Formats: sequence, C-alpha cells, structure tokens
Amino acid sequence: MINTFAQIDFLASSGRSPWHRASALGKLLLAALLVGLAVFTTSWMLLLALLATVLVLGLSARVPPRLMLAAAAAPFFFSLVFVIATWAGTVHGPFVRMMRPMVASLTAVWLVSTTPYPDLFAPLSRALPRVIADSLFLTYRAVFALMSRTERLWRALILRGAVGQGGTRRYAVMGEAVGTMVLSSFDRSQRLYQTMLLRGHSGRICGCRHYLEFTRDDGFVLGAALWAGLCTWLLWTKGQV
Amino acid sequence: MSHLHIPDGILPPLLWLLGLALAALFAGVSVVASRRFGPQMIAYQSALGGLMLAVMAIPVPVVGLHYCMTLAGPVGVLLGWASAVQVSLVVTVILALLGQGGFTVIGLNAVVLTFGAVLARWFYLRMVTGLGPARAMAWATAISQLLSTAVWVAILWASVRLRPQALLNHEVQDMLQFLQLGVLGTLLLPSLAAAVAVEALLAYGLGGFLARVRPDLLPSPASPKPSMETTSA
Repeated sequence: MINTFAQIDFLASSGRSPWHRASALGKLLLAALLVGLAVFTTSWMLLLALLATVLVLGLSARVPPRLMLAAAAAPFFFSLVFVIATWAGTVHGPFVRMMRPMVASLTAVWLVSTTPYPDLFAPLSRALPRVIADSLFLTYRAVFALMSRTERLWRALILRGAVGQGGTRRYAVMGEAVGTMVLSSFDRSQRLYQTMLLRGHSGRICGCRHYLEFTRDDGFVLGAALWAGLCTWLLWTKGQV
Repeated sequence: MSHLHIPDGILPPLLWLLGLALAALFAGVSVVASRRFGPQMIAYQSALGGLMLAVMAIPVPVVGLHYCMTLAGPVGVLLGWASAVQVSLVVTVILALLGQGGFTVIGLNAVVLTFGAVLARWFYLRMVTGLGPARAMAWATAISQLLSTAVWVAILWASVRLRPQALLNHEVQDMLQFLQLGVLGTLLLPSLAAAVAVEALLAYGLGGFLARVRPDLLPSPASPKPSMETTSA
C-alpha cells in the first residue's frame, strides 16, 4: 500500500489529462453518480456498461493498469464471502455482487488519481465538523513522512535479523519498533503544533478553492455524466437479477 | 479483522444508512467531547492516524502468509474514545478514497474500527493495575479485536437476514450452514486466531516499550485522559 499511496499522489499532482484539469467538485459529483448507480442497480447489463465506463475513465487519465487491477481486486475477498453466503443458484446474482464493488473501487481510484488531495479534501471538509476536517488534512500529510520512516525502519529490522527471530520474540520486537514510530509521531505532532502556532493557526485548516474553478475540461466530466445517464435510461430495466 | 473493510454494493441500503447515521452520531458526540482539545491534540491524533495508515502497509509474516496490522487497539488506548472516533472516521475516509472499503459503507467501517479502539481503552484501564502496561495493552488489543470481529460477523449476518428473498431459499440456508461450519471453521477461525495473536504480541511490545521510554503517554486509571487534552491554542 506504501507504493499505492505514493503513486496515486504523484499521479494526481503531475498528470496532464483533461480529467486532471477538470474541477474537483465536478469529478466528485460524477464519482458519486457512478457509485450511486452501481450500488442501487440490479441490472448486470448496466453494471457492465458502468465498468466499461470507469475503465475508459481510468485509462484515459493514464492510471497505470496495475493500479487499476489492484483497485478492482481489493474488494474481492469480502465480495466472495458474501456471494457464498447469499448464493441462490443463479449466476447473475453473484455477478452483480462482484461487479458493484469493482465499479465503486475503480471510480475511487480514478477520482484520487486525477485530483490533488487539497482539492479533494476541501469540499469534503465543508461538510465535516472542523476538528475532523483538520484531522483529515493533517492525517494525509502525516502518512507520507511516516511511511518513509516506516520503510527505513522495516528495512533495518530485516537487515538486523529481527524478522528472522523465532516465536513470540519476533512480534514483540516488531511491537517495540512500532513504539519508536509512536514516539516519532508524538514528536512530529509537537513540531506541527508549533508550526501551526507560528503561522497563526486560526482554528481551521482551509483547503484551497480550486475545487470550485470550472474549466473547459469539465465538459468531459459532463459528457461522462450524460453517458452514464444514457446507459441508465437504456439498461436500468434490462438484465435484472 | 477490523481491517477487513466492507466494499460498496454488498450490503443492503438499510444497513449502510444505519452505519452512516451511527458514525455521524458518534462523530457529533466526539466533536462535542473534544471541544476542550487544543490544536496539539488534533496534531497528535492526526499523526497517530497517519501511523495507522502507514502500519497497515507493513506485511507481517505469519507462517508463510502476510498479515496487515491495524493498530486500532493501541491507538484507542493512547488517544481515548473521542479522538479514537475521529481517527477511525478519517482513516476510513482516506482508505475509501484509495478503493480500500466503500464510500457508502464509510459509516459501518468506521463504526467497526471505532468499536475496537474504544473497547481497547476501556479494557486497558481495567487491567493495567493488575497486569502492567505491556500485558494490559496485549489483552486489551486481543479482546477488542475479537469483539470487533464479532461485530463484523453480525453485520454480515444482518445483511443476509435483511434480504428476505435469500432467506426463503433453502439453498441459501444450506450455503449458510456450509459457511458457518465449513469455510468459517476451516479458514476464517484459524486466520482470526493468528491475526489476534500477532496484533496482541505487537501491542505487548509497543506497551512495554512505551512504559520504559515514555510512560506519560500511557493512560492510567488515576489519570485516564491524555496529557494534551486540556491544552488549548
């Protein structure tokens, strides 16, 4: 997941596709539409059309196929358990239950791969209580610093033979290693707090307002939404489970 | 098992809407309870939330398989319930944006993660005097993991019960029996036992380390609140 985080963040801020230039609010609304349709439809034909749509969205945004494959496979285990639990002897039911999370997961990856996190979190933070919105920004920022530290620490543990130790000792040593990271987090929070005070923290971390800036590229977002609407109109009642 | 995030489109709307409502309620109560928290506490809980996400990326080898830790128990012990609720929600939102767990089930996933974190703190405070920080952290983590897994199974059970057309089908009932006796017995239970054991041993190491190096970060029954709670801007 370390690479996934870094790769997605890099793609979101360095991508040059029309999706990257479109406004975050438009993309959020399109993502909500696609996920909503995937969750509520019982038509396997519509789900297939939505899957093709999000695949085209992802490929045209130059999201690496490996990342898309990982996103599509992520909900597989849970879906499989649920498919077994609700098996009714038909193929269409399980097909729909496997497709829904795939469409939603691929939509999420398309959204975060084309939208830098300040633009993505800014509209979300308007709907959340202040303390949680601030926490959302600060947590995402903390992840990258902590991940590089985690990687270095883990490599050091492997090189020094901590992972090769037998039995319970191995995990206790790993727990101590996590302890050093908790201390690092604590120190980091102290520095961050002091920085916030120095910069005149007013009690709210504001995201930028880029998410509201609509461009010509939002036409592509509108086109994708209209396409999803057309598919829904044509296929909602067909291929029902 | 609290790391096993439920994806979109699996659960009936009634259930995930209930989850969203519960998460909103918990978040609202936690925001009211955390009014006295200063920016320092927000920075600390955000750093620990980031740590949760970073640690979830570490594959811990368990007999040829790899297990991803959650740190929900230790983070719950360190932060207290109000911050644990907020951290769980934030971590779940970020994971959903990465395609790990669904958008519609952010509420349920956050509630399951919160449940484990909050319970861990409760058990820790009741065991730390008798067992010491390391063992109390380990036991609190193990018990909270088991109980959050029970919630996860209850959600699965409820989602099947809320589909009446599935219940009428004898094949489904047979399949559920197979799931309970077969898959659950041979696959899920040993995995669960291994996951709980690993998480508890890691918590043991973490608790012991913090007790030696920074005991002030650990709560005690005499002063159960984190030292930063009363700090204001």
